[in-house]
Amino acid sequence: MYRYDAIDQEFVADRAAEFREQVSRRLAGEITEDQFKPIRLMNGLYLQLHAYMLRIAIPYGSLQSRQLRRLAHIARTYDKGYGHFTTRTNLQLHWIKLKDAPEILDQLAEVGMHAIQTSGNTIRNVTADPYAGATADELDDPRVWAETIRQWSTLHPEFSYLPRKFKIAVTAAAKDRTATKIYDIGLHLRRGRGGELGFEVIVGGGLGRSPHIGSTIREFLPTRHLLSYLEAILRVYNRHGRRDNIFKARIKILVASLGAEEFARQVEEEWAKTDQSRIDLPDTELARIRGDFTPAFETLPPRSETLEAARAADPAFARFLRRNTHPHKQPGYAIVDVSLKTPGQTPGDMTAEQMELVADLAERHSLDDIRVTYQQNLLLPHVRLDDLPAVWRALSGAGLATPNIDLITDIIACPGLDYCALANARAIPIAQHIAERFADPDRAELVGELNIKISGCINACGHHHVGHIGILGVDKKGEEFYQVTLGGSAEEAAALGQMLGPALPAAKVAEAVELMVEVYLRERKDGERFLDTFRRTGVAPFKEAVYADAH
Amino acid sequence: MRALTANRLTDGETVFWNDGRWVERFVEAQLFDAPEAAEAAEAQAKSLQTVVVDPYLIDVVEAGDIWAPLSYRERIRCLGPTNHPQHGKQAEGGADIDALAHAAGAARSTGRVNLIKRK
Repeated sequence: MYRYDAIDQEFVADRAAEFREQVSRRLAGEITEDQFKPIRLMNGLYLQLHAYMLRIAIPYGSLQSRQLRRLAHIARTYDKGYGHFTTRTNLQLHWIKLKDAPEILDQLAEVGMHAIQTSGNTIRNVTADPYAGATADELDDPRVWAETIRQWSTLHPEFSYLPRKFKIAVTAAAKDRTATKIYDIGLHLRRGRGGELGFEVIVGGGLGRSPHIGSTIREFLPTRHLLSYLEAILRVYNRHGRRDNIFKARIKILVASLGAEEFARQVEEEWAKTDQSRIDLPDTELARIRGDFTPAFETLPPRSETLEAARAADPAFARFLRRNTHPHKQPGYAIVDVSLKTPGQTPGDMTAEQMELVADLAERHSLDDIRVTYQQNLLLPHVRLDDLPAVWRALSGAGLATPNIDLITDIIACPGLDYCALANARAIPIAQHIAERFADPDRAELVGELNIKISGCINACGHHHVGHIGILGVDKKGEEFYQVTLGGSAEEAAALGQMLGPALPAAKVAEAVELMVEVYLRERKDGERFLDTFRRTGVAPFKEAVYADAH
Repeated sequence: MRALTANRLTDGETVFWNDGRWVERFVEAQLFDAPEAAEAAEAQAKSLQTVVVDPYLIDVVEAGDIWAPLSYRERIRCLGPTNHPQHGKQAEGGADIDALAHAAGAARSTGRVNLIKRK
């Protein structure tokens, strides 16, 4: 976990004090809304449909118990007792009052948090594999590199006014749990021929109005050159990005228009001119950062008799183990998913009481470590096998143990038109209707891995383009309609979904999903996932089932 | 018919214009038939910089026995989020809230289009 030093601490406290002054000047009429709006956005404060919304940065989705407790306190004291975890692993509070915002920033600063760079044309909160430091399939702990990027990118003067927002994701495992290929820069750690570690550098991914899968511009960048190379990419983008057209300002458009090869050439040229030694992190500093990410594991036997007895005694617990736990690199431990997707609830929402419970569990059972995933769930990365029955009971009691990770009810949904000023249609009720139809855990497990992702507008915060089933809310002649895409994926073999057919009215979406699942169950062969079957059959049988009535 | 809406500066609450005052419930909003009167109210509201943010006019239509915002977005602003009926203005209940919740209409208003342009 990162640690603020005295300078960091003083800075975030000063920043909160500065915002207090700015809010008071705004309320007194000394500055106009046009002058104030960029200031509040630099502190993560948006104005939405019903109130202000505060987007709080959770660096690479990592939280300590005291921080989650503080978020619970803020949600209870200044909001309506809940918060919403996003696909960017941040937390959004939807009922904030402007006059309370400075106090909230003070409270965040006390626990090493802020809302800086959660808006605006800057480098946003960096994301990393939520299994970091826990999974056996990683080459290194990606948080070390994510923290390096966090320190470099925070308030970087050269990159504070980019053509558009900029997002970086880091993974160090073969399985991509961070969606690196849909990021402005995706960094995928690889081992070189000589055993040295380096990054595959993927640039120009992104969703929104013009979805793109990122292109690899360098197969292998030695890790020691990470920052100088990132700086070269950002310089090329900063110089040539389309500031004249907001719809063409993201780096994906620049990479697509130049071609990945030419973009790479320009980056290499810029990099060659760079004084790398001035920018790249010294080994001593890297070692210091690495020291903050070394959990004190106990030496434990790889098998727990307590766990095995509980597994045998309770089928519900056995199902939870099957769906919501994953192997750990350290014998005697497991990674545990905390599902925020109980059918009927709002995906990603968590009450203050639930936050406090998970904070307590993390302190007692997970080395004070909590992660947020981009699928809008949490996880406890380091739980002793012996403790799993107790952790499961506690999570179950709080409605946080739905055994549905990666299943059809584990749906991503943005806040949509229920909250968001940009939305065209609601996303949450669509997710609720679908999840309720598949609430039977036997049925959900029979269907198997199936990612549904829903966005309420083309900005695609709900990642609909890369859902196995993607759903996009549109405004069609004055009513909420939904376009369905199939076959998208955010993993290693990333792909954009293909359009199913004409948009569906809200009342027909859950039924359409049910019909498509029936097609899949009929067509699937030899353990195929929904995505595999779709890739084999193409869109035709699904289209035929959903639009049968129209013929 | 049109109404004038904004968000209150201090807390972001959705508010509506009524003859120089801002009210929280849509049922209390002033409805403008004449475009000149609506635009004059909007101009006046825009000068109230320390009271509201982003005032704009919305289209209002007859929906059964009541007047309701034409757009679905504006009806949600009048009510609150549909996933949490206990939050927002709808939490207070009342006949006007029930009627708005069941009003039908188109989902886009000229007011909203103007709002998007400003963002």
